[in-house]
Amino acid sequence: MAKALKKIKKVSSPGKAGIPILHRVPTSSGSRLSVGKKVESLSSKVRKVLSKAVFKKKPAVKAKTTRLAAVRKALTAQEAKYFTHPENRIAKTVQAVEPARADFEKKELPQGYDKDLIVLQVRDPWWLHTYWEVREGTWGKLKNELAKLFATAKKVLRVYDVSCINFNGSNAHRSFDIEIHQNAKSWYIDTAGPGRSWCVDVGLKLSDGRFITIARSNIVTTPLDAPSWVTDEEWMVPDELFSRLYASSVGLGGSPVKLKAPWLELQKRAQGSGGVSSGFFSPVKKEEYKREFWLVVNTELIVYGATEPDAKVTVSGKEIALRPDGTFSLRFSLPDGKQIIPVKAVSADSLDERVITPVVTKETR
Amino acid sequence: MNKGYLCLVLHTHLPYVRHPEFNDFLEEDWLYEAITETYIPLIEVFEGLVKDGVDFRVTMSLTPTLISMLSDSLLQERYVRHIGKLIELSEHEIERTRFEPEFNALSRMYFKRFKSCRDIFNQYHRNLVSAFKRFQDLGKLEIITCGATHGYFPLMEVAKSSIRAQLRAAVSQYEKVFGRPPRGIWLPECGYNPGDDQFLKDAGLKYFFTDAHGLLHGSPRPKYGVFAPVYCRSSQVACFGRDLESSKQVWSSIEGYPGDYHYREFYRDIGFDLDYEYIKPYISSDGTRINTGIKYYRITGTTGQKQPYLPELARQKAAEHAGNFLFNRQRQAEYLYEILEKKPIIVSPYDTELYGHWWFEGPMWLDFLIRKIYFDQNIIQMTNAVEYLEENPRNQVITPSMSSWGYKGYSEVWLQGTNDWAYRHLHEASWRMDELVKSFPEASGLIRRALNQALRELFLAQSSDWAFIMATGTHVSYALKRTQEHIQRFNKLYEEIKANSVEEPWLKDIEYKDNIFADIDYRIHQ
Repeated sequence: MAKALKKIKKVSSPGKAGIPILHRVPTSSGSRLSVGKKVESLSSKVRKVLSKAVFKKKPAVKAKTTRLAAVRKALTAQEAKYFTHPENRIAKTVQAVEPARADFEKKELPQGYDKDLIVLQVRDPWWLHTYWEVREGTWGKLKNELAKLFATAKKVLRVYDVSCINFNGSNAHRSFDIEIHQNAKSWYIDTAGPGRSWCVDVGLKLSDGRFITIARSNIVTTPLDAPSWVTDEEWMVPDELFSRLYASSVGLGGSPVKLKAPWLELQKRAQGSGGVSSGFFSPVKKEEYKREFWLVVNTELIVYGATEPDAKVTVSGKEIALRPDGTFSLRFSLPDGKQIIPVKAVSADSLDERVITPVVTKETR
Repeated sequence: MNKGYLCLVLHTHLPYVRHPEFNDFLEEDWLYEAITETYIPLIEVFEGLVKDGVDFRVTMSLTPTLISMLSDSLLQERYVRHIGKLIELSEHEIERTRFEPEFNALSRMYFKRFKSCRDIFNQYHRNLVSAFKRFQDLGKLEIITCGATHGYFPLMEVAKSSIRAQLRAAVSQYEKVFGRPPRGIWLPECGYNPGDDQFLKDAGLKYFFTDAHGLLHGSPRPKYGVFAPVYCRSSQVACFGRDLESSKQVWSSIEGYPGDYHYREFYRDIGFDLDYEYIKPYISSDGTRINTGIKYYRITGTTGQKQPYLPELARQKAAEHAGNFLFNRQRQAEYLYEILEKKPIIVSPYDTELYGHWWFEGPMWLDFLIRKIYFDQNIIQMTNAVEYLEENPRNQVITPSMSSWGYKGYSEVWLQGTNDWAYRHLHEASWRMDELVKSFPEASGLIRRALNQALRELFLAQSSDWAFIMATGTHVSYALKRTQEHIQRFNKLYEEIKANSVEEPWLKDIEYKDNIFADIDYRIHQ
């Protein structure tokens, strides 16, 4: 499956190429790599989840839901009781039990659209995402043209820094290459360059050093990861004041903040861990209930009986409805203690009356 | 003396989930729960405020997908069925809990609430959009629009005609529903990319919101941080920045109000707690236990041991928290007024479903807050973007920075290993739509229907919700199915339109299933 190929790759530090990077990211490369790992693990998680159609409750998926029901029975009592959202539980269940059936859900989407193209998108101030497609015919043509050179050619992404220029293919401030797997169709690119413009070619690097562009991407600009160094004469703001405002804006009260401090840190501090705003998520964390084994026992009491269908029946003074055949059935939650439950029936002509009073004592030891 | 303004923004959105082909459908419950737990309680709050002569300003986005669902007769009918079952369940609960006075009182509370939901729903002729419109017409509520299906604009930068179409469809629906054009917009996921403001301007929109860093990292530096709007360079559309301090007080999972121990515990629902045979008629029709909305416990503490919910205690807490929020805004406004020498505007946006659905006492808190602002003080005044701009027409011109309100502040939520595969298909569909619009400038009859449906399918595939769900790992298979299905339907339409061989019965079937934006015109996609 294509997803397995979408790895985040750290490229060599572009700062060394001699172009001033105005806002270097102070986080270590290690922490950025860990982002990559996270993405991968999420991806595999989804693969597992996706392998199970928990889609809906129609006859068509009956077999699956039945299987799910069986799975559900296997849950510990704890999960069944204290589990949060139904969807969480299903996802969890499925993950635990179902072997991966990769790409089941997406298998019918086209693999490609018969184009040579590459598209570039911004993920955040540091990372870009690119996906591409190269036609079989294009590969064939290249193979013919390049003959022997083709066999040793490397498939690469050439990433150009094209900030503030009209890029013509040869005037980039600098570029760097990323060697990609033969079957890769998309890639995450670490630019370490907030506030810069980027363009990417997918192409072949030949053993004689030449680079052949197969497709060139659109140009994108990464956002700054800190306040701009550009100030406005008319709307001048002293650094110190701006620091205080910045701190206040991100919820750090009046404490001044170093302007170059990365947004991410502020974001984390300001938002806590639950900063995602969406209707699907609670801002209130579910209390994790970590005991390995547990038990809940509740009791209910069923009071049932019958009389003449047209009689009037009260239970503890409250009138109840009889079934057409004169039977009745009531269900009560039964806490500890003594419950006195007078059941009174009065005949339709009010001449006869019967009272039966069950007394129930429940005690939990 | 007035020292600053508070602009509350409630972003009200649900993805388009409507499955006429099934008798009942789990994901449709999102709408029914939101109606019962959030929309109707908010309407009750607004009604109470109007009745008591409390002047207030609240900004509320109602997304085109949500408006479509709230106006849809099938979903309205299903809501009536849904609330009817809840009323029935709460009646059984009143009987079942007779020996437990605390739970019995709560079951009566739910019974009353559910009945009142049904009454209000019927009172507005089953269409809650008309309720919100009423408060807008009274000048209290400022209703803003959103992308047609909540498509995330920063990842549509190579398919800009889709951004324009998302905006045009939204504006056109808004005009029809509210009788005037929208003035502002909540960008889907608060996602902004420099230049998108021009599309807003072209759609007639005057203002939008960004997250704090959208302004703070804009260029040149914004003199007033997020505490005054800016005009975007070239488009002159106004941009307001989110204040994170006030957001945090409500949102934060650690220090936010909703986690108070006296508040109702969301995660203990009788749908999971009660005997299976008893609860079975009220849970999912396939027998899966789900939340019913009847919850008897308060958060209590950090262990699994929960105490019964005590509404009066929770109510006191909500009042206390409203007071605390106001106190903090007053101090914030005073501090900012002093350093800015100008009245700050504090923009506090929230997902509307926080109020009532997640945070049961949220609507009550909002009610207390608005009343306290109105009656008890004059340091803070409620406002909306339009009134603020009328009073402060002169603002700095900058280019805001790309940003969103998602986790980490940019596009990672919607662009990661779980969902990045979709953009290849989404972008291609946008380009194909462009091609179709160019090829068929004046289509009619069956081809026109097919073209309109193609745009509906494209829109539905573009909902940011699907990528979001894939990223978060709940309901994933549903999100995958929706993305895949709409793209497939689009591609089939594309092929058939080009070959002039539209299969009418099939078209009719997907028109019936994906019926959003009934009078859409495919030519808006260019």
